[in-house]
Amino acid sequence: MKISEPMLLKNRGNIGILLFFGVIIMPFAIAFLYALLYSFGLVGILNDGFTIAYWLTVLSAPQLGYSFLYSALIAAVSVIFSVGLSLFTVLYLKKALNKPFINFMLYMPLAIPGIVSAFFTYQLFARTGFFSRLSYQLGIITEAASFPDLINDQFAFGIILTFISLLAPFFILFYLNLYKNENLEALERVAISLGANPKLATLKVSLPILLKKSQTVVLLYFIFLLGAYEVPLILGQESPQMLSVLILQELRQFDLNKIPEGYTMAVIYTSVVSLITFFIFRSQKNKVIHG
Amino acid sequence: MVKSWKPFFVTILIVLVLFPFIYLLLLSMSSGWAFPQIIPSNFGFDNWKAITQSEVGLFTALMNSILIALTVASIATFGGFILSRIVAYHKQKNSLILISYFPYILSPVVFGACLSFFFMKVNLFGNMGGVIIAQLIISLPYALIFFGSFWNEKNRNIENLVATLGGNKIVSFVKVLLPLAKGLLLVCFFQTFLISWFEYGLTAIIGLGKVQTLTIKVFLYIKEANFFYGALSSCLLIMPPVILLYLNKRFVFNRMS
Repeated sequence: MKISEPMLLKNRGNIGILLFFGVIIMPFAIAFLYALLYSFGLVGILNDGFTIAYWLTVLSAPQLGYSFLYSALIAAVSVIFSVGLSLFTVLYLKKALNKPFINFMLYMPLAIPGIVSAFFTYQLFARTGFFSRLSYQLGIITEAASFPDLINDQFAFGIILTFISLLAPFFILFYLNLYKNENLEALERVAISLGANPKLATLKVSLPILLKKSQTVVLLYFIFLLGAYEVPLILGQESPQMLSVLILQELRQFDLNKIPEGYTMAVIYTSVVSLITFFIFRSQKNKVIHG
Repeated sequence: MVKSWKPFFVTILIVLVLFPFIYLLLLSMSSGWAFPQIIPSNFGFDNWKAITQSEVGLFTALMNSILIALTVASIATFGGFILSRIVAYHKQKNSLILISYFPYILSPVVFGACLSFFFMKVNLFGNMGGVIIAQLIISLPYALIFFGSFWNEKNRNIENLVATLGGNKIVSFVKVLLPLAKGLLLVCFFQTFLISWFEYGLTAIIGLGKVQTLTIKVFLYIKEANFFYGALSSCLLIMPPVILLYLNKRFVFNRMS
């Protein structure tokens, strides 16, 4: 019997790769292409030919720039606080976190989706919410209106708090696993036996490794938050808005002349996020090759 | 003696974790909670009984969510497994994996809004089929990336061995690869189930509000300021993941890590 090259290893086919392109790439490609054509006036209800007017309008108005900046700031603050909080929890409480009951508790917040988390934040921090009632009962405020504006506020307190409540549990578990997988306990012991005090060993050995190993995940979460929708929709203010909320609002305008501007924003958002993702993965690949 | 703050922090941590669950459960059992009462005036199971009342629509939303999530999870897991093999054995593996990240990492609502024209053209706008397909556009790339590590050197060699011993593709797939990947398939199934279960934006855009799932209900109740039913829908939304957690933590944690 002739034993040829194992048949399962042969990628026969372009059928397989066509399937991949059809299922994974095509929806993304046609959505992007449609938005691009719409933004240049080549498709759409009221469009009648190529124009760069919508691009000029979007790029000259401050709305999208503010939204990008606002979303990036919210995402950055949320990620930084979540990472900081998680690192402190893991490095300070690592022994306690490995007890079965507490370890199970750490997983519980992962069962709460963003929309429920936003609803819960609203329930706690709205002017008639739980903390407002508590403040009233303690005599700190005399009426609901005296309670500080923490929901739909200009500093996005509610949004940031919700993002932290969603991200921090994930990062705690992520760093806890990383701590074990990278054998950091043993490395810390070596540092201590060489004369470092335990705090210094944690700060100079474990912390830099955890930060370095989590770079890609942290950046990916920043991108996720940049495109968050339901949380800012419930807890955000009218202006500025986070990117997804703004783009959706533009795309759902009653004024049909404004819709191409929405598609222009969608193209800009998609391009920026795709470029960031591309550079993240390229730098990661370079690290694997050179590091 | 240096006083340790660790027990204090651990207690705070446990309280913070349990508080949302207890609060939402109590809120879902309440009715009538005027400012400045700290505790609602009426407690009972009346709201929970409303699940079965057709005019509230919660039971329909629950069934829709289950049906959509089960369908999406089944197709995404199976499809993702097959597609991941195609990608793993391709020369341009790294580039294809990078491309797979894009649909998954972009804002689903922006993505959905740009695709809605095509869904309208093929009559998939405002119905369950459309919502399932829209969610698959997100969950399939996730499943593909998830199975990436399965096609390692060891499993390739096992495939080679089966082929060398005369096994055809189907035998290799059914008798060798599927049993080998059983654990991963199960985890991926629950992960994609949860992606679908928690999904709001795409469902709202492509479902046009006509396909009522639990996440759509939570949002509707928030808009109506019906916080008791909002909490009830939230409890229904949280319950399956908690059960999955209890069964196996891996079913819930692997997402996006």
